[in-house]
Amino acid sequence: MFFNSLAFAIFLPIVFFLYWFVFNKTKSTQNALLIVASYYFYSCWDWRFLFLLVFSTFLDYYTGIQIEKGKSENSRKFWFWLSIIVNLGFLGIFKYYNFFATSFSELLNSVGIQASPILLNVILPVGISFYTFHGLSYVIDIYLKRIKAEYNFVDYSLFVSYFPLLVAGPIERATHLLPQVKVKTEFDFEKAKEGICQIIWGLVKKVVIADTCATYANAIFDNYTSMNSFSLILGAIYFAFQIYGDFSGYSDIALGVSKLFGLDLLRNFNYPYFSRDIAEFWRRWHISLSSWFRDYLYIPLGGSKGGIWMKIRNTFIIFLVSGFWHGANWTYLAWGFINAIYFLPLLLSNSNRNNMGAIQLKFNFDSAKVIMSILYTFSLTCIAWIFFRAKTITDAILYLKRMILSRDFSFQYLDNERYSYELLIILGIFVLVEWNNRTKVEPLSGKRNMLKLAFAIIAIMAFGTFSDYKEFIYFQF
Amino acid sequence: MKRFLIYITKIIVVITLIAVALDGLYTAIFMQSKNRGKIETVINSKAQKYDIIVLGSSRANNHFVSQMFENVGLKTFNYGMSGGHLFESSLLLKLMIERKYKIKNIILEADLNLSNNQESDGVSAKFLPYIHNSNVIKEHFSGQKNFNELYYIPFYRYIKYDSKIGFREIFKIESKEKTNALDNLGFYPLKKHKNGNMKNNIVNLNPLPHNKYYEEIKNICVANNINLITVMTPMCENVVGMNYFDKVKKAYPEIHNYENVVVDNKYFSSCGHMTDAGAKIFTVRILKDFFNK
Repeated sequence: MFFNSLAFAIFLPIVFFLYWFVFNKTKSTQNALLIVASYYFYSCWDWRFLFLLVFSTFLDYYTGIQIEKGKSENSRKFWFWLSIIVNLGFLGIFKYYNFFATSFSELLNSVGIQASPILLNVILPVGISFYTFHGLSYVIDIYLKRIKAEYNFVDYSLFVSYFPLLVAGPIERATHLLPQVKVKTEFDFEKAKEGICQIIWGLVKKVVIADTCATYANAIFDNYTSMNSFSLILGAIYFAFQIYGDFSGYSDIALGVSKLFGLDLLRNFNYPYFSRDIAEFWRRWHISLSSWFRDYLYIPLGGSKGGIWMKIRNTFIIFLVSGFWHGANWTYLAWGFINAIYFLPLLLSNSNRNNMGAIQLKFNFDSAKVIMSILYTFSLTCIAWIFFRAKTITDAILYLKRMILSRDFSFQYLDNERYSYELLIILGIFVLVEWNNRTKVEPLSGKRNMLKLAFAIIAIMAFGTFSDYKEFIYFQF
Repeated sequence: MKRFLIYITKIIVVITLIAVALDGLYTAIFMQSKNRGKIETVINSKAQKYDIIVLGSSRANNHFVSQMFENVGLKTFNYGMSGGHLFESSLLLKLMIERKYKIKNIILEADLNLSNNQESDGVSAKFLPYIHNSNVIKEHFSGQKNFNELYYIPFYRYIKYDSKIGFREIFKIESKEKTNALDNLGFYPLKKHKNGNMKNNIVNLNPLPHNKYYEEIKNICVANNINLITVMTPMCENVVGMNYFDKVKKAYPEIHNYENVVVDNKYFSSCGHMTDAGAKIFTVRILKDFFNK
């Protein structure tokens, strides 16, 4: 059941009605309803993996309590490591086992030792990377005595399995979501209205921007050997907007849906393509994952406090792990590696926190510099996205090589029966709308709300891509 | 909560109004479309007279050279449509009859397309803008699974088939951009392709014993005194499961089997589609066999 499906358009109003009109007596009954709805939502993909989700939830719930109750340090450590190993074990088996087995076998074959890997015939449970990270952060926080264990299983289950965030985040923290789950709140009209605006803007990003870009990006990436420099540059830009529209659109819908139930989720995107350097980009892109790795990996490794080599090591670790989190493929590792290379000079020159404030432009030289730095940062991210999108690292390198060496900037007719440049007008309008609203969560709320909503609805209906339907990219992670 | 319900109601009203307005706008633009494709040309046309009309899929569109019929004094148009099934051929013929076309002969390509009774989404979508303006189209689609959504939900059909009848098509109609669908009197000549797929496996394909739309076409022809010539057109020699054509012949003895009239691979662009040269050889044979020309 996708957020942009008819099934979800029926599911959501039913759950909303039951939540506020039938199960509204106590917070417990409301939470129980959301759990049932979330499990139903999840089982629409594959009910068999529901057992895995329930097991993972129960494991972290139980180990969390045992860690808190543990009288000796050894006991606390035992329950802590049990949770970590089992959680990462599931992730490893389902997501990474086949990759490592194949890579190891290829390595052996390359040195002349014949080996055929034993592969598992399993599909990746949707959302496993997200709910595993929910559970991990919870257990780590209890172990480090940052939070108390949750004794109410329904409340804890809701924290892990809440349907808006279940399959593609944002990756929530117990400190943020659990307190909200425990307090009964009255219906808040303004919050719900914001939620509706965010849902509609998320749909604009998904069906107008991401899915339309996808048809062009696919036509270019799948035939890059016959594309010229101009088309290949456009291909990288289209994919950059595809993945942004897809994932931030999903996050907007998730946050908006959650607001209808009175619950605030962590913001996941903050107009990342308006970043002035890569460090700022990573503070604005997939914020919940970046901050997760910062808090549970980078800082425990020593962060940027140690010597120069420690800084370099930690930077590479966090970016490589972040790349690998996305999937078991060398291309994701390469994407992480490239971002580490981008980030390192800023860190070593202590300029990674130079651009913390809001962007303000005037008619002067400094503003021109800001615009140039935004374009430069966007270009860097586009180059990295080529590695993320390409099937293999070799393909990515050949794509880049051809982009530089072809030097042909004529318009090309693509496999999707459209000219490569056609989409630039829609993207230009989209960028202008986002730029003018960059201080807000989304552009539709505020003054003349209904008029803006009408324009967004027209855009979805008239300019959206529906017949060439694409599921959300991050579901596969 | 009351304010929220009012707010949601307003949004639903806005969505409905937009859908109705866009539906009206798109339909009005499609009603003026004339030079974009065969379907809109027929829909927006008046009575015509033809000696020969060609119907079928791309295997009709690429195989019957209309100009060769014209050269011997037979007024002809090739209405074969790439990707089309008999569902669309039947509907197109019904629309011609509705518009009082006088047709003496119909050459219908009926071979691989006899294996199903389904519509071809990509082609049938092009009839949908006119569903509220033509009872023939409405009736023809009324048996389809998603008829109610397509007919009653405003703008739904334009959303569902946006790549065929969406805003890009609207833009092209408005900018009077021509397609090549009507060039060469509807015939689309193919060239020899280096990488053309010269293998085809039709082992699992079986003709339906009573193809609903083939029967419809036969009945329309009888009712309107049209001479129906149904043919199977050539396939390349590498086809696996060539006995399909024998199965067709067994189920429909009236269909003339021409699948092996042209076999040499040099006359094929891909396994099921002849080149211009192959189409000319084939058309000569058809002219000789059915029109003594």
